[in-house]
Amino acid sequence: MGYAEFKAPKGVIKVELELSDDKISRISLSGDFFMYPEEAIEELERALEGVEARKEALLVAVRDFYSLSGAQTPMVEPEHWVEAILRAVGG
Amino acid sequence: MEWRLLPLRVDDAFMSMAIDEAVLKLNAEGKSPNTIRFWRWLPSAVSIGCFQSVEREVDLGVAKKYGVDVVRRITGGGAVFHDYGGELTYSVVCRQEDVPADIIESYKLICGGLVRGFEQLGLRAEFKPVNDVQVNGKKISGSAQTRRWGSVLQHGTVLISPDVRRMFELLKVSPEKISDKFIAFVFERVTTVERELGRKPSFEDVREAMSRGFEESLGVRLFEGQLTREELEFAAELKSKYSSDKWLRKR
Repeated sequence: MGYAEFKAPKGVIKVELELSDDKISRISLSGDFFMYPEEAIEELERALEGVEARKEALLVAVRDFYSLSGAQTPMVEPEHWVEAILRAVGG
Repeated sequence: MEWRLLPLRVDDAFMSMAIDEAVLKLNAEGKSPNTIRFWRWLPSAVSIGCFQSVEREVDLGVAKKYGVDVVRRITGGGAVFHDYGGELTYSVVCRQEDVPADIIESYKLICGGLVRGFEQLGLRAEFKPVNDVQVNGKKISGSAQTRRWGSVLQHGTVLISPDVRRMFELLKVSPEKISDKFIAFVFERVTTVERELGRKPSFEDVREAMSRGFEESLGVRLFEGQLTREELEFAAELKSKYSSDKWLRKR
């Protein structure tokens, strides 16, 4: 199990995850960011499950999540989620 | 346009959050008018953002020791210590079409009411995106917003004279941070109405100033009104969700 925190321009992203065969098998995102609509956070977690824990694959998954959900996270960008996740993978 | 202004309320954390959600939902259903409410938290409480993990953010042992309630909000953002003796809290509920569609612009409009309210008190304030109001470059108010069912809820703090030391005991900042040095650092970033004015105005005076501020910034006239029976009954129902362990430990 890995855990890490990353400070985005607006909000700290906290990631707790488990890997299986280099893929995310479970992930929990928390922190003091904003996301509209709020329920989309669960969609983002689901979108990340099964994704290979590498930068490129994660970025695709997160960008797809934004396109599909229409969610907005002021001053938190896809790259910030990916950075937080990669730190949790390393930690 | 006329918006309803509720009387200054004193409620516990669970009821306060339940009233916010009840008015938001009923406003969306066309049963409640656009509404502004000011209140204080009794007992003092910690609210956490809807995406936060309570175990990671709050020292529940310390909260229990001081009889401080802990509640999860339906809005994002961070953990806040709401000191009964030192904070006035506001909430604004309105139809989504009555504020800009852009989230930061809508924060700016509603926080603009606070900016004008602080001016009424004799302080020069400015909106600091995304969700803060500053006086002399220091945060004096923080807000959080949610949009549901076609309506908007924005609530936030007006720091009058909160107990900062108690705040750091309750919130999980690393132990080395609860030093005089760190608290001095916080005092450079955060300020209060008492500190800026050199005196502590009454809660009613601050409420009055902020109400006028909202009228100017939103371009509305406020009329004094009460919560309806329907709102109170719905809030009583929602209160059990907010006081449940399941909701508190959702994340």
